[in-house]
Amino acid sequence: MKLATRYNRANLLTSLVILIITGLIYYVVIHFILTERLDRDLAVEENEIRQYTQTYQKLPLPASYLDQQVSYKEINGEVSGIRDFSYTTYINPKENEVEPGRSLVTTVSLKGKVYQVTITKSRLESEDLVRIILFITLGVTVVLLLSLILINRFVLNQLWKPFYSILNRMKTFEVTKTENIKEESTKIDEFRELNESVNAMVKRVRQDYKELKSFTDNASHEMMTPLAVINSKLDSLLQTETFTEHQGHLLEDIYHATGRLSRLHQSLLLLAKIENNIIPDAENIDIQEMLEGKIRQFHELFEKDGLRVEVNLEKTEITMSRYLADILLNNLFSNSVRHNHRGGRIDVKLISNVLIISNSGKDKSVQERLFDRFSKSAESDGMGLGLAISKQICTLYGFELEYHFIDNMHSFKVYFKKSF
Amino acid sequence: MKILVIEDEQALLESILAYFIGEGNICEFASNFASASEKIALYNYDCILLDLGLPGGEGLELLSQLKQMKKKDGVLIISARHSLDDRLAGLDLGADDYLVKPFHLSELKARVSAIVRRKNFDGDNLIIFNEIKVDVSAMKVSVANNQIVLTKKEFDLLVYFLANKNKIVTKNAMAEHLWGDEMDLSNDFDFIYTHVKNLKKKLAEAGGKDYLRSVYGIGYKFGEA
Repeated sequence: MKLATRYNRANLLTSLVILIITGLIYYVVIHFILTERLDRDLAVEENEIRQYTQTYQKLPLPASYLDQQVSYKEINGEVSGIRDFSYTTYINPKENEVEPGRSLVTTVSLKGKVYQVTITKSRLESEDLVRIILFITLGVTVVLLLSLILINRFVLNQLWKPFYSILNRMKTFEVTKTENIKEESTKIDEFRELNESVNAMVKRVRQDYKELKSFTDNASHEMMTPLAVINSKLDSLLQTETFTEHQGHLLEDIYHATGRLSRLHQSLLLLAKIENNIIPDAENIDIQEMLEGKIRQFHELFEKDGLRVEVNLEKTEITMSRYLADILLNNLFSNSVRHNHRGGRIDVKLISNVLIISNSGKDKSVQERLFDRFSKSAESDGMGLGLAISKQICTLYGFELEYHFIDNMHSFKVYFKKSF
Repeated sequence: MKILVIEDEQALLESILAYFIGEGNICEFASNFASASEKIALYNYDCILLDLGLPGGEGLELLSQLKQMKKKDGVLIISARHSLDDRLAGLDLGADDYLVKPFHLSELKARVSAIVRRKNFDGDNLIIFNEIKVDVSAMKVSVANNQIVLTKKEFDLLVYFLANKNKIVTKNAMAEHLWGDEMDLSNDFDFIYTHVKNLKKKLAEAGGKDYLRSVYGIGYKFGEA
């Protein structure tokens, strides 16, 4: 639910309830006051009649004035002291209409007889007054509610505009792009503050990103240079040719170690880059074509161990960096060769956006923390980074990477996201 | 060929120079931006080996200078930076190739030779070594005028050996050259042996001399004994 909707709902509901209650109170109070006034008028009339009968010892004429009627009735028996206000009807003789009325029934004693006096006044005017007041209240209520809705719809939307525009810019923000989140011109302090904080954050993120990037670059440079020196010196040493076979083996071992060190270093840098999402350039890749190329590239390795490779590929396009796709496939294939046994098999399947590479294996027991860094089986001569990198790559693009052990085959599944 | 090595790491510079000197190659060097810039302006080279991180300036700047002077020198960037941006920026600015440190000197030599061949003999991309004649662009090889048929890997291997003649080339370097260094190959390079053996056999059958010899199991040397 949007903030504005939520606010609107609360606002309108409260206004409505308060206005209805106010209307009711108005109605009741005014009604009470007007009835009170009528009753006072009736009492004054009653008083006049009493004084008249006392002074003249006869009943006044049952006069019929405007808005007021008096009637007498003799009652037998000793019923006296009745004094009763009530709502009745009033017949307007002029217009011959029945109007609402208020009457006072009382008794007057005259010459030993008891008369019942009924004084009736028209309530029409006061009723009209109450009704007008009620209508005005209702009208005000409706106008108020309408204007509230309008204010909410237009003014609030206008007010929140800078917020949504800042939000949009944050959504489309990319750390690798250089443009800033623009200043949103607004006079609202909160939004200005938000905008400033967002921009400050962007600046900080950019700074961190730049530092990280330059750190990885520098680290790479600083560590690769000595490695390059060792490697080149080994190459130079080799050219002297004045070494024994034993020394040759020593040289070979040093070569392997430096080669591993530089690969290890590159892998770690790569992991850092993937984790920090420093690899741009996602493109559409025909993964089927890429797999076919990879299988050709690994041909010698398959042959060397007498591995039987079964391939079943469907045309599939995915969106990712070509560089990372290459590394992912390299790792999965290297893995399936490395952990295979002589004369084993490898199945490569690419069907409905799922890549399955399964291989027969040396042993069934598999490390639990397969995708962790530096986790590897005892006899593996790898670095234990391949699967960690593969997992990172998959995570980066929202792919799933799973491992299963089915029918004596170690099988890795990659669920690609469809590219559109 | 005439080569300029721009590299600030003294030890690496020495190794590269030592590897390239001989066979009529002329090698010059520069270890900072100013002297590199000066040499580029004054002389023409067949190939310039350019390190990107230089004291006194950015290596890519030298590429722009070359471009401004409309020079046709071949450029091979050697850099410790593995980032794709740098690679693309370098190639965009007119570099011919990009090699990431650490590298094998034999790989460096092969790449430089390829660049120089492409620059010097446009269209007619030939390597001739005694009775062996390799047409690189047509991928044809003849030994003593006998045409021989090589597989892609054997052909690449022969070109690689010819670029590094009289040098010992490790199996490691050969594997990386043929299959790429991203492949994370195992330490067992026996499968290279098959290709070397086949190449040797095909050359011998066509009447070539035996130039290839194994060196203590660590690698091979191609050249007159």
